[in-house]
Amino acid sequence: MRGLPPPRATMGAVKEVLVRVAGLLFAAAYAAFLVSVYTRQPRTVQQLASGVAASVGAYQVDPVNFQEGLRFFRNDQFPEARAALERADPARQDAPTQFYIAYSYYRQGWGRVYRDDALYHQGLEVVDRAIARAPGGRLVVPDPTLQMHTADELRAELQRGLTRELSDLNPMKVFEERK
Amino acid sequence: MTTRPLPAAREAFVLPALFLTVAGAGGLRIAPAGGALSFVPPPLITLVLAVLLLGVMARAGLLIPGGLLGDHRTGLENASGTVVLLSLFAASAQLFTCLTPDAGVLRLVFNLFFLFLLWNTLAAQPDRTRLLRSLIVVFGWAYVVRYVALAALADPQAGWTRRLLTVLLEGATAGPIEGEATAPLAGYVAFATVALYMIGLVLLPRPAPSAAVALVATRTGEVVE
Repeated sequence: MRGLPPPRATMGAVKEVLVRVAGLLFAAAYAAFLVSVYTRQPRTVQQLASGVAASVGAYQVDPVNFQEGLRFFRNDQFPEARAALERADPARQDAPTQFYIAYSYYRQGWGRVYRDDALYHQGLEVVDRAIARAPGGRLVVPDPTLQMHTADELRAELQRGLTRELSDLNPMKVFEERK
Repeated sequence: MTTRPLPAAREAFVLPALFLTVAGAGGLRIAPAGGALSFVPPPLITLVLAVLLLGVMARAGLLIPGGLLGDHRTGLENASGTVVLLSLFAASAQLFTCLTPDAGVLRLVFNLFFLFLLWNTLAAQPDRTRLLRSLIVVFGWAYVVRYVALAALADPQAGWTRRLLTVLLEGATAGPIEGEATAPLAGYVAFATVALYMIGLVLLPRPAPSAAVALVATRTGEVVE
């Protein structure tokens, strides 16, 4: 058996290789997690924890709070709807929930003779987040109570509301309907 | 320079975990009112300071690149060593972010303080132990000024601490120094961050005894001459 390393030495070498490979995987996963935290910028410990759950695929929207948010939304109680939807999706990871939050900003900010710029800006920020979270950036919400079913339509509508143009002076605009 | 062999688990797990934790926690900011979190990426100046700090460490023998990378190591070992070096660089940059005020003249003063101190240390060529002591003093003082003194100056409830600092600084500056409000938890996080970083530095590969003796002999020879 001359020339062959003793079994214990071989086991030790294999173990070291395994430890190093596991260490590399661990370091890569940890670094990716830190980069995602710095990118997402969670504001609370709850958002941070939910982000961890989302990164391992264990994140779920709370269905009770989501349904409550929808009920408030359909009753035009927008601040209440947003509070419930934020509770349902504390990590801001679920694209449809973020879509409804953005939609609530649109509906609350919509006025027959004016648009609330501050609310529209907030809506634009949230709809951008919804698009970022949607697979391939395409988000469709088949809700028959809405007039806009895609995040792209909602985004365009919010941007139109923020743009100043001559057609804003058109008196016929007061007959436009809220979507 | 040859190094004592580092246990695989320490090189592959412990050191990256320590340094990545420091890199993550170093940029954490906690709002004094409400406790909202935010994560600050490293400003450019901290990258420069981190390069300088790694240079100082390499010069002093605290960081021995040959112990982490080289032809004598396998590809996997070199990959582990690269991870340690990269995470050490990220941790160093974020440690400066942690210990530096976020804005204002004080930020400039802190950065200049670090820059000149590191430059001076580079010129002094300390050995491993002296550099470790020096870094503890530098980071310790920066921590005390940032999280104790400046926080006390910004806190109207600080009472005698604030009055004492105001009296001490009277005449030393052209105008009143404005503190920087920090959440109490931020001080504890920063303390843990500095401590973890120093532990990580102590765990880096050490020179082999023969190399250490040769280094001492060379230094002694220099002194005799």
